[in-house]
Amino acid sequence: MKIKITIFLSALAILSAQVGPAKELHRNPPRAWALTNATIHATPGKTIESGMVLIRDGMIKSVGTKVKIPKQTTIIDLDGKHVYAGFIESWLDVSTIKKDSSVQAHWNSNMRAYLKAADLFHPKKKELKELRSLGFTTVHITPKGGIFQGSSSLVQLGEIPKVLSGNIAQVIEYAAGGWGSSEYPTSLLGAIAFIRQGFYDADWYGKSIDILDKYPDGNEPIQTDKSLGILFSDKNSQQPFIFRTKNEVYIDRSKKIANEFGLKLWIKGNGYEYRRIDEMPASFLVIPLNYPGKPEVVDPHHALQYSTEQLKHWDMAPDNAAKLADAGFQFALTSSELKKKKDFRKNLARSIRRGLSKADALAALTTTPAKEFGQSKRLGKVAPGFIANLVITDGNYFDGKSAVKAVWIDGNEYEVEPDPLVSVAGDWTLKENGNEWALKLNKSPKGFDGKISMGEKSIKLKTVNIEQDRITFSVDADTILQMGITRFKGTVGEGKASGQVFYADGNSANWTAILDSTKTQKKKDRKKEFASDLELVFPDGAYGLDEDVPSPKTILINDATIWTSGKKGVLKEYDILFQNGKIKKIAKNISLPRGNALIIDGTGKHVTPGLIDAHSHMAGESINEGFENVTAEVRMRDVIDPNDVAIYRALAGGLTTINLLHGSANPIGGQNVVMKLRWGSFSDELIFNQAPQGIKFALGENVKRVRSYGRYPETRMGVEQVIRDAFMAARDYKKSWDTYNKDVKLKRSAIPPRRDLELDAMVEIMEGKRLVHSHSYRQDEILMLTRIAEDYGFTMATFQHVLEGYKVAERLAEHGAGASTFSDWWAYKYEVVDAIPYNGTLMTNAGVTVSFNSDSDELARRMNLEAAKAVKYGGLNEADALKMVTINPAKQLKIDQYVGSLEIGKDADFTIWSGHPLSSYSICEQTWIEGKQYFSLEQDQYFRQRDAKLRNDLIQKILSSPDNGDKPMKPEGKRGNRFDSCNAMEAYTMEGGK
Amino acid sequence: MKKILFLILSSTLIFASDQIPGAPQKHPILLKNGVIHTISNGVIHGSILFDNGKITHVGEFIAPQNGAEVIDLEGKHVYPGFIAAVSGIGLVEINAVDVTNDHSERGDFNPNVRANVAYNPDSEIIPTTRSNGVLIANVVPASGLVSGQSSIMMMDGWTWEDATLSHPSGLHINWPQMGTRTRGRYGRTPPIKKQIERRNKSLKALDDIIKQSRAYARLRQTKSRSAENYHDEDLRWESMIPYVQRKIPIYIHANEVRQIDAAVHWAKRQDVNIIIVGGKDAWRTTDLLVENKIPVIYEGVTALPSRRYEDYDQAYKGPLLLQKAGVQFCIASAGSAGAAYRLRNLSNQAAMAAAYGLPKNEALRSITLSAAEILGIDKQVGSLESGKDATLFISNGDPLEIRTTVVQAYIQGRKVDMGDRHKMLFHKYQEKYRQLRILNE
Repeated sequence: MKIKITIFLSALAILSAQVGPAKELHRNPPRAWALTNATIHATPGKTIESGMVLIRDGMIKSVGTKVKIPKQTTIIDLDGKHVYAGFIESWLDVSTIKKDSSVQAHWNSNMRAYLKAADLFHPKKKELKELRSLGFTTVHITPKGGIFQGSSSLVQLGEIPKVLSGNIAQVIEYAAGGWGSSEYPTSLLGAIAFIRQGFYDADWYGKSIDILDKYPDGNEPIQTDKSLGILFSDKNSQQPFIFRTKNEVYIDRSKKIANEFGLKLWIKGNGYEYRRIDEMPASFLVIPLNYPGKPEVVDPHHALQYSTEQLKHWDMAPDNAAKLADAGFQFALTSSELKKKKDFRKNLARSIRRGLSKADALAALTTTPAKEFGQSKRLGKVAPGFIANLVITDGNYFDGKSAVKAVWIDGNEYEVEPDPLVSVAGDWTLKENGNEWALKLNKSPKGFDGKISMGEKSIKLKTVNIEQDRITFSVDADTILQMGITRFKGTVGEGKASGQVFYADGNSANWTAILDSTKTQKKKDRKKEFASDLELVFPDGAYGLDEDVPSPKTILINDATIWTSGKKGVLKEYDILFQNGKIKKIAKNISLPRGNALIIDGTGKHVTPGLIDAHSHMAGESINEGFENVTAEVRMRDVIDPNDVAIYRALAGGLTTINLLHGSANPIGGQNVVMKLRWGSFSDELIFNQAPQGIKFALGENVKRVRSYGRYPETRMGVEQVIRDAFMAARDYKKSWDTYNKDVKLKRSAIPPRRDLELDAMVEIMEGKRLVHSHSYRQDEILMLTRIAEDYGFTMATFQHVLEGYKVAERLAEHGAGASTFSDWWAYKYEVVDAIPYNGTLMTNAGVTVSFNSDSDELARRMNLEAAKAVKYGGLNEADALKMVTINPAKQLKIDQYVGSLEIGKDADFTIWSGHPLSSYSICEQTWIEGKQYFSLEQDQYFRQRDAKLRNDLIQKILSSPDNGDKPMKPEGKRGNRFDSCNAMEAYTMEGGK
Repeated sequence: MKKILFLILSSTLIFASDQIPGAPQKHPILLKNGVIHTISNGVIHGSILFDNGKITHVGEFIAPQNGAEVIDLEGKHVYPGFIAAVSGIGLVEINAVDVTNDHSERGDFNPNVRANVAYNPDSEIIPTTRSNGVLIANVVPASGLVSGQSSIMMMDGWTWEDATLSHPSGLHINWPQMGTRTRGRYGRTPPIKKQIERRNKSLKALDDIIKQSRAYARLRQTKSRSAENYHDEDLRWESMIPYVQRKIPIYIHANEVRQIDAAVHWAKRQDVNIIIVGGKDAWRTTDLLVENKIPVIYEGVTALPSRRYEDYDQAYKGPLLLQKAGVQFCIASAGSAGAAYRLRNLSNQAAMAAAYGLPKNEALRSITLSAAEILGIDKQVGSLESGKDATLFISNGDPLEIRTTVVQAYIQGRKVDMGDRHKMLFHKYQEKYRQLRILNE
């Protein structure tokens, strides 16, 4: 029996003595300790058995097996316990201020870069204690709120936290208020634009302040903005910028922003990093150990609501850290995303069981964050000269079952789970009133339990209380000796105990006991868990690609009906040859030398160009930034979601190219992006790079009815003025730049014009570099916008929807605008009462380039049938009808030199149909983009079988896995279908207006 | 032939005015030399004769009788009018203009409201719909838990009374959502606890409604002379009586498998007749449907799969799966009132099912006779047989093909004015471009 030295320290007394007068009396508690007889994990991978750590005045003096202990130092025998360097919790959010209305604040409250986490940190004692109980001695605190959230800080977790560094990194979040919020931005689109503009503004601000310093005379002073000033200096001093991310796509977005502005990038991870590990930036990562709970799959019908992607994530998420370590990433681990902090150790142990090495895990808690946070010389190691931050455990920390006994912070001990004064656990022989009992006492989660037995019979103890060295317990001994409920009270000494026993009848006697053996229960981790054996597919989940898309160098289709959508019209029983992703030859009986060509028998089949949809919202994670009436700065390319299954479904309908447009909430919306549906690719690989840039405008009911913000305009009269105003401002903006750029003197000594992403886009329109696609319905507004365009010297690329285009077709033709319309929609709102399905034909006959669009993930899958409606309504010939979804939209998007028709030299984007492409009975059999097969019926069958088996296996695995107490994962339900049509969005906009 | 030609040539004149309901059939009409798609008895290359609004003869050769108008179809096709098994047509004009909507009464329990009294026979949507061969629609109320009673309407008539083919056709119940949603499309969802509470409340209400209705029926229908046994009338409960007595079916709008499952068990427990409307997941529980002889009105073939991992053509092939499993079914266009203007594309729904495996004749049946059977009007419409209504149309080809045009329709023998708002505006603006010399016709 070992009596433990308990140190009563007042941390408060030590710390408060540093600055300010002593309260009461001066306090100088002892600060020299030698922790001996310990297993010291000095650094990741380096362990010292039976070692010693010498601490003096908050610092580690020496570490090793043969350390000379100065006489004045008190020894604490750790009795084989483990010692680690204090762990760094790499993420803890601190709540921030609501709004700053000081004169130096930014115009938008989402910009709060000047804030410092350390200034906002008001931890509760309970919070500090909880973190320490996990072994954390230092915490990286991060401000939460807004978009530019401020600087993070590094703090020691002592009773009065000590700030080690006030400025670690600038924290950025893609935060947006959503519809109905009271400030820009309301969407992811706006948030990204706000971040980009923020960096440009910081740059401008810094330079302007510089010029004002040098040339104070003759320059108008600018408004002070403390956030922009901080951003400017942080960026230029290569302070890290850490982006909060929700999944792998957000990481990619952050990577792009960092590249654009030359930022030192850090990532606050999300648990999905493993999915696109090859695409991850080589940045420092803070990874949460937030593993999904078990999906509830016992009810087979309920199980249907989980997507395959979710089930897979359940299986693979705990491998995330191991995979990052294997790939050589520098990362830290955090408990920040866990609802119950205690799950951190449980989940960490799971990571270890699944292959994360203990050394890597230790590094992620110590040396890696210490290094990244600029503290590699004083945090993260048990080494001389380091701050005396230590974790003491009774076993290996990473085995999960071991207990954190104490942490040391700045050389002060904080007990977590102190050893009891006496050890009582074990097998005792107890004698009482002539009876001899075998007593067994065990440590339990809530204290102690045990049993008492005589011969074969044994009884569980009812309650066992240990208070310092005193023990009480009761036992219902009726079943053995008809003694009734009997109570024992006594004192425990080294190996023996004695006291009084109180019988049911009120009598009492003495008892004694001798400890026969101290069987401390082995805290062995017996759980078995293995890394997931599932393979990733791209994107992960159903229909993800598991190998590269087949892309034969040469493809020949024989004897097919070829709808060229070009000058050659429809060719029956023709061959078409594709080579290196381009169309090589179209002729009868093309013969090929034997070789590596893929030959497709086209007998009875029809081949058309890959279909093109000039109005889509698929794969857009965010559609509308509607708070302001002009948001030309937001870009759809920033919010592409390559995981959207709508892409695959559209390919299965023969679609290959889409125009991803901003919504119609404001007169001047965001910049669109033209994409090829390269399913399975990531980042910018979906973008149709040769396509010119564009922008969405919107007129009519949608823009004037967004009244929730009390936003101007509310009439078509106002819409016209808003658009004119935007161009006027852009013209003035351009003029100010031109003036500035021409004058060398100005460039040296004058404050430069401020770069404005919104006006940049507007200038590009006027310069003809940015195509305008305008949502429109009524003839008056269509006419109006052609006039504005002509006033400002550009040509409208398309009018979208343009359901009354047939009333002013001659004007459209004269102006040169394309018309991208619905085949036959009408009556869903007042401005479409005069919409007619003959619209397409009437405009075509008047010389307008007309396309049919979907504006719907569902309709996008059968655009060939939309084209058929041009035959039905107004009698367009079939070849021209098909052009509505091939070459015409290509012309409208100015990509017709690459796609839209089957002509020599163009991209090998084509679709093979089972029959006539305008027939209701035909189905799409194969879809190719640039000579790569992105859809085929065979491949689809393969996916179905693969994914059905995968689901089944996963559900079996879930059913057979033990319940570990985690909250069950919530099913995704219908979220797979992200967006149906503008009308869904419009309906919502309207709702928001109430 | 001349007559047909005349019909087409004179179309400009017709389209120049609003549409006029057809006059009652005054003389027999013989359509000869056509392809008659009877649905019930195969395809007959021959003739069809109708008189007094009823089909009197279908055959390869029918001798023209005295006074009959004879129309040479020159190989054109004749089909029974398409039947929309559920639709909001006539109850809505412009979806986004609130005051033009008459499909959703206030409150959760409206078994008494009747669709046909609010059916606007002058809705501009109706002529555009019948222009594509949809001649009959079961018009349904939409709101709350118990929405009201539907009426089967003909797509022609001066008044709603003229247009009513049958009323009531059924009571409509929107089955409560059985799952909980974690996040709505726009991030607004009530807390899960609230959702579960709400669902349980609705489910209990459905049991209570039947119990109350039976009790009310007993009070009202048990004959007694004593005055104290008289029970005052209640519109809502009164309207429930035929449904708890299994005289008329209850339409349960349910798509998700748990809804369908719960609805069928509810119907068994409460001993009522039901029809499932929606039925996206019906293919997952066909045994239950077959065993309990529950028909399905499969709504919206051209729809996205319900779940991310489902086959891309899951909704397309739904009808095929039901047919293979022996479930009684028909195909409907999306029945929500907001989709009324799309009802004209009903045949596209059937065609898509055919493209993905449903036999063509089954596809055609699914919007004619199969729909009539489920709606309980198959004695009167749904196929071309003598004795049935002469509600039919002539087309220049397979009407499941989009490119096909419906040339002429008859509803109970009344010749339908084939003009509509769209044709009218088409001709108006053709005229504009003729004036501008852009169009040379």
